Amino acid sequence: MDAEMEDAGIQTEIEWDGGGGGADAVLGLAGGGASVSLCYHQAFGPHDDLVLLEAADDLLPDLLQGRVIVRGRPDEEAVLCTPSATYSMKFVGTSNSMFLIPPGEPSAKYLRPDDTSGNANAVAATIKLAPGSIELVRVAPRLDKLKSLLRERPYILDEDIGNALEHKKGLYTWQDLCKLIQASDGELLDALNTHSAVEIDGFWRTVDASSVNTILDMILHNSVLHDWPLNAMPENDVLSVMESDGFTHKIVTHCLNRFGTKVEQEARSFWSLDEKRVCLQFARRALGAGKMKLTNFMDKWKRSIPSGICPDLQMLEGEVLCEKLGAETWVHAFSVTDLPLAPAERFAALFRERPKWDWKDLQHYIRDLHVPGVSSEGLLIKYTRRTQPNAEAEPIFTAR
Amino acid sequence: MQIRVQCGCGESSCPEWAVVELQGVVQPQASFAGDIRGLHIGRLCASPSPSSASKVGYTFTVGYHELAGTKVTLKKPLLVLRKKKVSGGAGDEEPPSAEVELEVIGIIRHKILFKERPKALISKPQSKEKKAVLPAAN
Repeated sequence: MDAEMEDAGIQTEIEWDGGGGGADAVLGLAGGGASVSLCYHQAFGPHDDLVLLEAADDLLPDLLQGRVIVRGRPDEEAVLCTPSATYSMKFVGTSNSMFLIPPGEPSAKYLRPDDTSGNANAVAATIKLAPGSIELVRVAPRLDKLKSLLRERPYILDEDIGNALEHKKGLYTWQDLCKLIQASDGELLDALNTHSAVEIDGFWRTVDASSVNTILDMILHNSVLHDWPLNAMPENDVLSVMESDGFTHKIVTHCLNRFGTKVEQEARSFWSLDEKRVCLQFARRALGAGKMKLTNFMDKWKRSIPSGICPDLQMLEGEVLCEKLGAETWVHAFSVTDLPLAPAERFAALFRERPKWDWKDLQHYIRDLHVPGVSSEGLLIKYTRRTQPNAEAEPIFTAR
Repeated sequence: MQIRVQCGCGESSCPEWAVVELQGVVQPQASFAGDIRGLHIGRLCASPSPSSASKVGYTFTVGYHELAGTKVTLKKPLLVLRKKKVSGGAGDEEPPSAEVELEVIGIIRHKILFKERPKALISKPQSKEKKAVLPAAN
């Protein structure tokens, strides 16, 4: 169905108070020859403002307690969002005649005298014929747009805040994102976390990569100066030292979250840096946008990493690809987080990068694909062709 | 754009609507065309089903046709939503279609479904019958 709910005011329609149908008389009709006379309601008409929504029992509590919202721009297909899940809305028509009978007391006096049955029996009245109903199907949230919105204006250290707030172009509040992104609140929040976005002055933003590098360097630098163990950096000390270096609590906490986990111990908070996430950041920096010989890259990467942390090529799965060219192995950045989220576009992007994929590489580029009701095997069957020269060989995946 | 689905009635007291569903269309005689409001469609009657004694069967008599059906509990209930425009809030520059709300005004858990072809009641012979089109009133 269309995202835009059109105004259904039809001038000739008679005002209807929502009742007068006598649904109880129909539903309560018991055996033994009891009967109800069904007639057209005094306000019978197209009533395009009434729609039927098919809702499984598990969705009813959310729907009946006002926790559901329909999202989409006029040019998009609308989705229905509960607090945690997204559903597509498809109108399914019926060729049957579906007489809708509202509740409330019907009035028999409307009946035309040509009711030949003669008895002043129970009456029910139908308000409209339903042309069909809207079906809900659980779908993956439509989050691709979020990435490009967040990239419009990353946060940069020392940016001119006053000027930035005046010109809000490229800046999005939570409410703005809710209007633009077709996802439930829960899924949107998860996606913002996945993109390492942070709410700064009311706007959700990613942090510019070189700003992240600067802050991480500063944290690591201070950890040496102040003898903070990398697996137990005292939060209060880190924040106050960083603040005196000119970094706000907000942005430092964001970076600690991004590269570590918080540990509460004896009523104090400590941060433990995650080796893999720190190493990955240094690998991205070492590699840049181009290609490098693997040996050169490993040298550069290892030299850049603070002592006490051990880098391992496995940490870069889903971020960096190796390829053999002649005798040399070359590496270049190819991050799963830069790829589209819809399966068809994801596989198209993967096969543009490489016509053939080994499973050991491919698995890291599809692990985040979640399509309700479809397993990752199902996705592989649908979008790839699997070849295995012999039983022992590693399977190869090519485009279908 | 967002459209909130509101519900004034709450989970326990959502009024239940009824549905009578049959195949094809009910067509009023030409003389009523244009104004069928208040017009009698047919008589819905509950009777012990001939097939099983425990289940209640229904007949729906429309003109000289009789349909036989049963009460069906929907696997997934249907909610009756009503679109309404929300006044105020939006600024003057907003497009006119901007503020819409959906309100849950009822729930349908059962329908009385007539899926058999209609049976002609031949006690009062009438020549005007058509197969799929039932005269609603006579």
